[in-house]
Amino acid sequence: MTIENPKRQDIHEYLAELEDIPGTRVFTTARARKGYWLNQFCMTLMKPENRERFKTDERAYLDEWPMTEAQKQAVLNRDYNAALDEGGNIYFLAKVFFTDNISFLQAVGTMTGMPAEEYQAMMIAGGRSPVGLRSKKEPY
Amino acid sequence: MARITAGVASSHIPALGATIDHGKTQEPYWKECFAGFAWTRAWEAAQRPDVVILVYNDHATAFDMDFIPTFAIGCAERYKSADEGWGPRPVPDVIGDADLAWHIAQSCILDEFDLTIVNRMDVDHGLTVPLSLMFGQPEAWPCKVVPLAVNVVTYPPPSGNRCYALGEAIARAVQSYPQDLNVQIWGTGGMSHQLQGPRAGLINAAWDNRFLDDLVKDPQRLRQIPHIEYLRETGSEGIEMVMWLIMRGGLGPDVRALHRHYHVPASNTAVGHIVLEPGG
Repeated sequence: MTIENPKRQDIHEYLAELEDIPGTRVFTTARARKGYWLNQFCMTLMKPENRERFKTDERAYLDEWPMTEAQKQAVLNRDYNAALDEGGNIYFLAKVFFTDNISFLQAVGTMTGMPAEEYQAMMIAGGRSPVGLRSKKEPY
Repeated sequence: MARITAGVASSHIPALGATIDHGKTQEPYWKECFAGFAWTRAWEAAQRPDVVILVYNDHATAFDMDFIPTFAIGCAERYKSADEGWGPRPVPDVIGDADLAWHIAQSCILDEFDLTIVNRMDVDHGLTVPLSLMFGQPEAWPCKVVPLAVNVVTYPPPSGNRCYALGEAIARAVQSYPQDLNVQIWGTGGMSHQLQGPRAGLINAAWDNRFLDDLVKDPQRLRQIPHIEYLRETGSEGIEMVMWLIMRGGLGPDVRALHRHYHVPASNTAVGHIVLEPGG
């Protein structure tokens, strides 16, 4: 027999908690709806011929999809924080930086505001501590 | 009768696959990370499982924003390595066990786990990196694979408790399969990592190691960890660890750890790996 979760969580409390983490956009359904075409555009870059067309004229390629101007600008600028704000998800956006031949380590580092070498050095030294970064409301 | 003989958990970071594919595992940055899998490669060569039920998540590969199944089981005869944006990984096709997969799908649905059935999909690094870590670079993978894809991308993902219970249901399904098969169940992903935003690079070695401890000592605690704790303590992508609980649920109440490895960093991520055997 399966054991039911004894403490079913209220969906509104659950969603509110997801917004309480500093420097983090949890990929909620609200973000997924907002970012639908941004993310679907990213999926098209899994085909080599599309990657070539995108690289040849990024703006023209982006204009083929019903994305908002802010979403297109985030992609053109490779501003991944802005892309997250526009509903992008990192695994979809990875198709863009893989097309650029950029690794996860390099692309993720750009979102932290740290120079690439500094970010890599932090990871080698054990990564970023969660201390003080667990909650916006009551940092601990 | 088919039986689950072992559980294996491991991270499935794409950089690990790229490092293997480019022959760079002995470089100073990677050496220690890969050393922790040598024991398991030798052990797997001796174990010779017939089938691995491989729990992983699809990273916007087979499933885009059009279809978001919470639990999807691969019932195909074979799967190709996906082109995730830099061309497919040069690994053999993954050969399915369609008979066993369909049996698990039917059994689990009767057991009130309504799995989505997938007859065609490509598999990404989430599935192929663990195969490379445990089996190296063979011409063909040494066993069949039943892919079990879990949504941990769009919130809410399934709870840890639900994942654990699914593992129990999969074990019941395997036990009722008439063919004599040596089956392993693997849980992949994790451990602590955050791949997005200014908080990216978060690692929590103390939390991760307590999780590894309690896979053996107190799995009942692990199944009650809420999503928000994974997010706060282990980064936005640490939630992948709920997939380890499907593996753990498939092994029964008591397990023994045969091997354990933890290393920081691989790319942005803490690498965790454990090999478990059912029984105290």
